Amino acid sequence: MQAFFQFTVEGLTIGAFYALVALGYTMVYGIIRLINFAHGDIFMVGAFLGWTLLITLAGTHLPMALALLVAFAVALIGSGALGVLIDRVAYQPLLSAPRLSILITALGVSLALENGVLLIYGPGFLTYPPLLSSAGFAIDGVQVSYAQTVMFIISLLLMVALYLFVQRTFIGTAMRALAVDQDAARLMGIDVERIIQITFFVGSFLAAAAGVMEGLYYTQISFFMGFLLGLRAFTAAVLGGIGNIPGAMAGGLLIGLLESYGAGYISSRWTDVFVFLVLIGVLVIKPTGLFGERVVERM
Amino acid sequence: MRLNGMRGAAGLAAFALAITLTGTLTGGPGPARAAEPIKIGVPAPLSGAYASAGIDIVNAAKLAADQINAKGGVLGRPLAIVPEDDACDAQTAVQAAQKLIDSGVVAVAGGYCSGAALPELSTLHRRNIPYVLDASTNPQLTEMGYKDAFRTIGRDDEQGPFAASFMTNVLHAKRAAVINDNTTYSKGLAVATVAALKKDGVDVVYNNAITPGQMDYSPVLTRVAALNPDVIYFTGYFAEGGLMVKESRQLNLKPVFMGGDSNQDPTLLKTAGSAANGMFITTAPLPQFLSGAKDFVDDYTQKFGHGPGPYSAYEYDSIGVVAKAIADAKSTAPQAINAALAQIRDYPGITGNISFNEKGDRSVAVYIVITVKNDQFAPYMRLDAQGQWVSMQ
Repeated sequence: MQAFFQFTVEGLTIGAFYALVALGYTMVYGIIRLINFAHGDIFMVGAFLGWTLLITLAGTHLPMALALLVAFAVALIGSGALGVLIDRVAYQPLLSAPRLSILITALGVSLALENGVLLIYGPGFLTYPPLLSSAGFAIDGVQVSYAQTVMFIISLLLMVALYLFVQRTFIGTAMRALAVDQDAARLMGIDVERIIQITFFVGSFLAAAAGVMEGLYYTQISFFMGFLLGLRAFTAAVLGGIGNIPGAMAGGLLIGLLESYGAGYISSRWTDVFVFLVLIGVLVIKPTGLFGERVVERM
Repeated sequence: MRLNGMRGAAGLAAFALAITLTGTLTGGPGPARAAEPIKIGVPAPLSGAYASAGIDIVNAAKLAADQINAKGGVLGRPLAIVPEDDACDAQTAVQAAQKLIDSGVVAVAGGYCSGAALPELSTLHRRNIPYVLDASTNPQLTEMGYKDAFRTIGRDDEQGPFAASFMTNVLHAKRAAVINDNTTYSKGLAVATVAALKKDGVDVVYNNAITPGQMDYSPVLTRVAALNPDVIYFTGYFAEGGLMVKESRQLNLKPVFMGGDSNQDPTLLKTAGSAANGMFITTAPLPQFLSGAKDFVDDYTQKFGHGPGPYSAYEYDSIGVVAKAIADAKSTAPQAINAALAQIRDYPGITGNISFNEKGDRSVAVYIVITVKNDQFAPYMRLDAQGQWVSMQ
């Protein structure tokens, strides 16, 4: 039983990252029906921006807490802006083109981001300064580190904030309107292009938050880090019902738990097999995913 | 040609261009022809996760060639290093080997990942081009009966028993967990280690693979720890190794953490930080720990601004051996170089004297155990001539 709780703690830690990234997939899909393949790479760019800032600020006399805050702020806003830029340059001109064109464009953007970072930062691994201590506490032998706890809470807060933003604010309402019917939303006086940009900003912002936290927690980053994580986060979005925000959160945590239990009880070699078997099983029984029941309203 | 008109036209254009270019480059009469360089190919991962290791290998090759050229080259001709990126990937490796063949290399010395070296070897073998491996340790590479495969580093089925001996005789382990990452190299080393451990009467409680590229291996480590091993031996690469060391410290795990030779990389130290202190790595000696390699370390550091990588010294010797073989053969025909390589006896390399056995393996391969002390790699123990463990501290 102790092992089970340990696996649960580890699964939730992994799952929080997946959930944060899955939100971006699901929001963009909800609004413009695009599987944004570049999203995993935005996560990676966020991690690199955070690294650059931390390394630069470490040279100054700024207190570490403040440096961390600045790094977070700049990396998150910078990645958000990058998301908007990508939308402006690559996606918006293709919104009325066939679906396939924009999908291929997303793949192209993904490759461009990966190779761009490869050119700037080089092919090797970079390491974050070791700011988080590995200290923690144990409940009945289950090890939980403080860093793990804090990151999980930050992830949850971000998710709740997003949920409230989408449900309670004017812009959120506009987003949901867009997800239902773009033309009708336009007729109601909603600035569709601007709302799409805000969606990209928010999605990229959250992905970058995951990126910087991943860098801080695992310390090791590389230009390729967005690929596997992006794939699993996308799976999480599909599992939860793509287009559905609480679904992406639940899907992310669930994939994390599956990965952890799979590695713990079956074999870590078969992690992906295990995850995808569950995905297929869910989709067979419920083709819209766990939360995707209301097909009309997607957010 | 008829299948694709455009390609035909493009081909013609390229051909015309090629003629023009050759015309301008070699058209003029001149003594340049006499000193046409002898090309030696160096395949290594220059992109992707293991690029840093690949660059250290190519640098060492360039240093070796420069030094040989400074002494007049080989057969009166300079050596030219042709690096090619194999990305540690089997498919890219085939293309890399093909590109090297097309560029006219007479011999190849390099390689890093066994999974990439294997298809390179097969591709080069079709042209009988000799391949001297500097870092790829999978036994199969020299077990295919190719007369053109050589290696200046030891084999995993030598490293496996060495690691097992350290676990039983020094750590006095009764229970061991062996984790690989499903790559050719890693699986090979794991198989060899598990076999040796079982022969030594050690209970192998866990023998399974992880998925490389993940960040969190805590669930696997938790599972392994529940089986109560005295030691965990990870046979994969440094990126995952660093994360696993760090995470096992975070989980407060008791077993000693040990890694195979691919864990010996500065990235592991940076990733794991102080958590790496006290871990062990079985490895061929680092250049820093080789008495004969002092000049090499100095020259390398001076030329490239940082110290050599774990396999740089072996690549340096690989180039040296190839140069010696070309000189012995008095020919740059691949078959002649092959025959000369097989005849090499006691070549005084910086990693020790090099002779090849009938398979092309180095007849005496040296391994040591290193540890991490004060966030730095430090030599720990080695086997002496009588097979006894002696301290190197």
